[in-house]
Formats: sequence, structure tokens, C-alpha cells
Amino acid sequence: MLFAAIGEADVAPWIVFAVSVSMLFASTVGQHARYTLLPMVLVAALLAVGVSAADGMLGYATLGLVAFVHAATAVRHSRIGAISLVLAGISTAVAAMAVGSDHVVLAFWASLVAIALRAGVMPLHFGVVHLGDKVAALQAQQFASTLALVFLHLRFVDHHPTAYELAPILVRIGAVATLLPALAALVQRDLRGLYRCTVAMHGGMLLAAVGAAGHGHYAAALLVSVTTCLGVCGFGLMVSALEQRAGRVSLEGLGGRFRAFPRLGAAFAFFGACGVGMPGTAGFIADDLFLHALWEESVLGTVLVVLGSALLAVATIRGYTRVFLGPPCASPAPDLLLGERLVAALLAILLVLLGVVPNLILGPAAALLGS
Amino acid sequence: MSELLDLVPGCLVATIAAPGAAVVCVALIALASRERTSERVALVLVGIALAVSLAASAIVALAASGLFGPGVEGEVDFGAWLSVGSYEVPAVLLVDTPAVVFSLLAAALTALVARFSKTYLHREPGFVRFYVLLGMFAAGTQLVAFAGALDLMFAGWELLGWSSALFIGFFHERAEPARSSVRAFTTYRICDIGFLLAIVATHELIGSTRIAALPAVALLPTSVTTAIAAMFLFSALGKSAQLPFSGWLPRAMEGPTPSSALFYGGVSVHAGLYLLLRVWPMLEAAPAVEFVGVAIGLSTAVYATLVARTNSDAKGTLAHATLAQVGLMLAEICAGYRELALLHLTGHALLRVWQYLRAPNAIHDAHRIGHEHVVPSFLSSSRPHLAKRLYAAALHRWRLDERLDRAIAPVLGLARWIDVTERRLAAFVRAGDDSRTNDRRGQDPRGGAS
Repeated sequence: MLFAAIGEADVAPWIVFAVSVSMLFASTVGQHARYTLLPMVLVAALLAVGVSAADGMLGYATLGLVAFVHAATAVRHSRIGAISLVLAGISTAVAAMAVGSDHVVLAFWASLVAIALRAGVMPLHFGVVHLGDKVAALQAQQFASTLALVFLHLRFVDHHPTAYELAPILVRIGAVATLLPALAALVQRDLRGLYRCTVAMHGGMLLAAVGAAGHGHYAAALLVSVTTCLGVCGFGLMVSALEQRAGRVSLEGLGGRFRAFPRLGAAFAFFGACGVGMPGTAGFIADDLFLHALWEESVLGTVLVVLGSALLAVATIRGYTRVFLGPPCASPAPDLLLGERLVAALLAILLVLLGVVPNLILGPAAALLGS
Repeated sequence: MSELLDLVPGCLVATIAAPGAAVVCVALIALASRERTSERVALVLVGIALAVSLAASAIVALAASGLFGPGVEGEVDFGAWLSVGSYEVPAVLLVDTPAVVFSLLAAALTALVARFSKTYLHREPGFVRFYVLLGMFAAGTQLVAFAGALDLMFAGWELLGWSSALFIGFFHERAEPARSSVRAFTTYRICDIGFLLAIVATHELIGSTRIAALPAVALLPTSVTTAIAAMFLFSALGKSAQLPFSGWLPRAMEGPTPSSALFYGGVSVHAGLYLLLRVWPMLEAAPAVEFVGVAIGLSTAVYATLVARTNSDAKGTLAHATLAQVGLMLAEICAGYRELALLHLTGHALLRVWQYLRAPNAIHDAHRIGHEHVVPSFLSSSRPHLAKRLYAAALHRWRLDERLDRAIAPVLGLARWIDVTERRLAAFVRAGDDSRTNDRRGQDPRGGAS
């Protein structure tokens, strides 16, 4: 209704684009990663073409190129990450050709493999998490274009009968891929490990959401992917900001960093909480919608995902406690800098806005993807 | 007096939104300012919001009382919060006696505690954090009170959980509050699984999560209703610290006294009971769950009474005394005495908040006046061996936490196995890559973080 004048369906690609560009901007500014500036501009231009393309072939071909740009930027820092992105790019290119030649089943599988590689679904997560370990800004940038990839998947290939038939299987696989990293998150001994598990857990959720979308829950899947990408991006940036100040962060004892970094602690808690469905943020709405969609496919899958989400929440608060609470430790490093605060505020505002007014994205998404 | 009735929808929104808006404002000011946010900013913003919330709640209570014309009762619909295809979460608030009583009680106690904390926590380093969490708690409580749909209620429920965990870890320089905070949050979150699954199941089976639509569960098979009611009960047990989840409540006393009073004396600990009052049609249709609820409530009352008698600290004794009363209320609700339970809840909350807030003075007085001589009980004179055993068991709180830890040990073992396997696979996949990239770059792009 909000966009009735210009047509709700026409707005959906641009909302996805706006969120993706915000993440690109956040990763570059928040990480002071000037060397990613040029690739970022190129990726943003390609994303504009990709998400607005009325033709699936053009859209997928553009996003294949985006994956290769990410891979070229990443190869200096993480070979595994670059290989993973190249494989995702090849899968996306195959999807483009398959869509062009009306082989929708092939396009569906190729697109799904690309999403799994890019989102870090266990056990295909090694590339993405290694990229995050080495250069967090690039990982956040590739999450931005993963969002666009999910959008194309929901728009062009997820309406096929194959998607309908495979939905329960994908949901179960996604649910298991959600639960396993969530369990592993409980016993992590350093913050980087917790972040790796968080990425993999959200990858599993994304796969389950994309699977459930096969039965028509397109808007729910899109909201889950937006929330996942924004939340993980924000959380990852805070983890990196902390590591830049404190080095490798152990979870073995209490770190007591809250007094030294109060804003960083608050932002860390916010993005961590958002990822596990805190009310007032898009995470809550996404979880709510997602679980209803999931229940229709598989009750067991729903139970596993709910359990996974609860375990990750416990691991997140354990991580927060171990990093920020405890006897205060002094640090000469500053709290969040202005640029970092700006980025945190931008991502937080997006998450809260979508949490309070979810129809902002759900309406246009349902109008475009449901048709 | 029709003007009063016209005010009701706006007041309902104000009770929830005012504290929520204050939290957002203080958080934004804290994020934007160069210096630490002053006590005054937090105090004024949150204080005004709590006053607005209390006034709005009082107006709704007056309108619902029927003193000024026909009493307001029923759903107040604000459209759809989110709507996708046939799925909709209504933005609906429900005005009835339990809602009005719980809302007014919570708003009044929160405002009172806010006023008390102004002097109690003056110059405390976490003063601003305390008021932000208080605002978050107030918004969550009012949402729980007036929610007309289970999804909305869950949103408020979660806010209570997050704020409670953060309050317990308030004195973050000490290790024990940090550990207690994680334990309380873990209990909440695991038990919330029941609430969440029950919401989804209710929606799928009766087509709505509106509380007013719950009587439709009577049409469902008893086994289905029993399963859903059991999930709601499971969730309530965690929030209200009933057996076997009682261990977190005494640990929660690590938080500041005002928050202990509000959460574990006044409002939060009763939230589980309020949930059961809300979903009463579900419980009513599941006699087996009612029976289990009565049994757990009475067992908790006995357990907590015995433990309270061996506690040597004031707040610990109060925590167990609270548990005993909450256990009795659970038994009352599950036995069908809902009005009695609501009355009990109100009286208990008021008394307990007063006791918690007075606890520091009471300790001071006890030191000044001296302790009362303990008279041997009937049991210790007639059955000294049994009395000793009971005393020892109560002193160790029946090793409840150790038993729970042992129960979840296999889960952690599985988690470690998954972690080790994942790390081995990752090491295999990465072989050579880490050393190659580090050699080429000479340094980490994060600025030497690794």
C-alpha cells in the first residue's frame, strides 16, 4: 500500500538493492577497507543491473560476474575463499545459461549450490568462513550480493514444480545445517570460532527458508535472507572491530572489556541478539514468519530450527559475557570510531525499521515474487 | 465519559510505546555523543516514559472498571502487524480483567522502582544502562499484559528475558553475576522453545493466534491439545522458576536490589503464571497437563520452603519464599482457581517488592538489634535423623543445578565432537592456504589481528 502509486512489485528489486548497497558501504567504511572501494563500486553497479533485470538469464549472468569480482578481490587473502566464490560464480553462470535455455530444473540446482556456497551452509561453509577469518570486509561484501542471488532464485527459478517437490527435503537439510553449527557454537573457545558457527548456522536457516519458499513462502524467505545478511554483516563487523583492538579474543575466561568498549559491547549485543530473533528487530519477524512457513513443510525441521536458534542465542550471550563482562581490563584502544558508529547505526536502523514495519519489504516482495 | 472510552486505543499504545521510544532515544543519544551519557538524560527520558505508561494504564483500568459508563472489554484491533498472503499477525490488544490488573501492577511497580533507583544507584557506573534496561522491561511487560495475539505476547516475553539476563549481569566486574546471567538466560531460552512451538502449532491448527480465538481448541483432539498445553506449561515453568528450573532464581539475586525486586519479586517471575491465565482454554482442554501443573507447583512450594529455611542470606531467603508462593499460584491456576490466583499474584507482588527493597535495611537492622533465638522445630525433636538429612539436602538445594548440568552433559559432548570434526575438516581444506597467503602479504589485512 505504501508503494501503491508506483506499483509495489516494481519497488521490490530496489529495496533489495538498497539493502545490498548499505551492506557494501558498511563493510568498506566499517572496516576501513579502502582497497575494496573500487570492487565495491563495480559490484554495486552490477547488482543494480542484476536485481532489476526482468530476464533471469541477464540477472544470473550479472551475479555470476559479481562472484568473480569478489573472487578476484579475495584471492590475495584467502585462496579457499576465492575458490569457493569462483565455484559459486560458475554455478551462477550455469544457472544463467539454464534459465536462458528453459532448463529450469538445472537452473534451480545450480542456483541452490551457488546460494549454499555463498551463504556458508555446512559443509560447504569453509570458503566463506575462511574469507571471514582473513578479511571480514570482503565476506560482508559477498553477503550483500548473496542477498541479490537469493532474490533472483525466488523470482526466477523457485516457482517450478521441482521446487515444490524438493521443499520438504531442502527444509530438513537446512534444519540439520542450522542445528549442527548452533551446537558447535556452545563450545567455542574463541570469538572467531563463535562467529564461524554463527555464519554457518544462518546459512542453514537460509537454505531452509529457500526450501520452504518452494511452497509459496517467497516473502518469508526474502525477509530471512535480508535479516540474515544484515545481522551477520553487523555481527561480523563488530567482531572484526574488537579483534582490531584486542587481537585474538578468547572465550576461555571473562574478558571484562565493557568498561573499555561500552559502545562496541552494546553494538555486539544488539547484532548478536538480532541474529537470534530479538523482538523489535527484523530478526524476530523473520523467525516468526519463517517458522510458520517451515511448519507446513516439516514439523521435525521446525523443531530443529527452533532448537538451533535457542542454542545459538545461548552461545551468543555466553560469548558476550566472556568477552565484555568480568573484572575490567584497561585498553589504550578507542571505543567505536565515528565511521564504525555510523555503520553500526545504519545497519541497526535498517534492522529495527524492518522489525517495526515489516510490510515495507513483505508487501512488495509478496507482490512481485508471488505473481 | 465517552471521551474516556475514546482514549483507550491511544492509551493502550502509549503504555507499550512510551517506554520503548525512551529506550531508543537514550540508546541513540549514547551512540551519537562523544562523552558518556549523563544520568539526568536517562532519568528524565525513561522517567517521563514510565509516568506516561502508568497514566495510560490507569486510564485503561478506569475505562475497563465500568465506573464511567459501560466497561471496556475485548479486542482493540490496529490492523495487521505483518501480512503475507493468507498469513497475518494481527496488531491486536486485549482488554480484560487479568490484562488490566497485570498491566497496572507492572506499570506502578516499575515506576516505583525507577524512583527508588534514582537515589539507590546514583553515581553507579551503570546508571544509564539500568534505566535503558528498565525501559525495555517496561515495554516488554506491557506488551505481555495487553497482547491480544500470542505472537505479540512472545515479543514482550522475549524482551523480558533479554532485559532480565542483562540485569543479572549488571555488576559486570564480578565473575558470579556474569555466570548467573548466562544460566538464567539459558533456562529462559530453552523453555521459550515450548512457547514458540506452541504458537506455531496453534496457528496451524486453529488458523489464528488471537487469544480470543483460543476456545476453538476445544474442537481439537485431546492428544493435540495436551501436547500444545504441555509446551505452554514448559515455557511457564522456566519463566517462573518452577521445578526443575528453580536453580536460576537464587543466582539471579546477583543483580541490583531494585531489579531483583521488580523482576523476581514483582513482575517477571509471575509472567509464566500470567501466560497460563491467558491460554487457559488450552489448559482447560488438557486435564493431564493441569494435573502435572498442580503437582509441579506444590512440589516447588515444598522444595522452596525447605530451602528457604536453611538460607543464610536475606535475598536468597526471599527468592525461595517467592518460589514457594509462585508454586502455590501455579497449583491454583492449574486447579482452576484463576481469580484466586490473580488476587494472590497481586498481593504477593506488592508484598515481595516491598520486602526486596527493604532487604538492605533489614540486614542493617538485624546487625543492630541482633538475631532472634531459633526454637527447635517439631521434626528436629521427634525425628532428628530425618531433620538432619532434610537440612543437608535443603542446604545444597537438592543439587538441582548439578543434576541439570549432568543431564545436558551429553549434549555438550556431542557439540564438542561436532566442533572437533569441523575443525579437522577445515584444517584439511585449508592446508597450505594460510601459510601461503600470510607469506605473500607479510601481514594480516585486519591490521595484525590474527
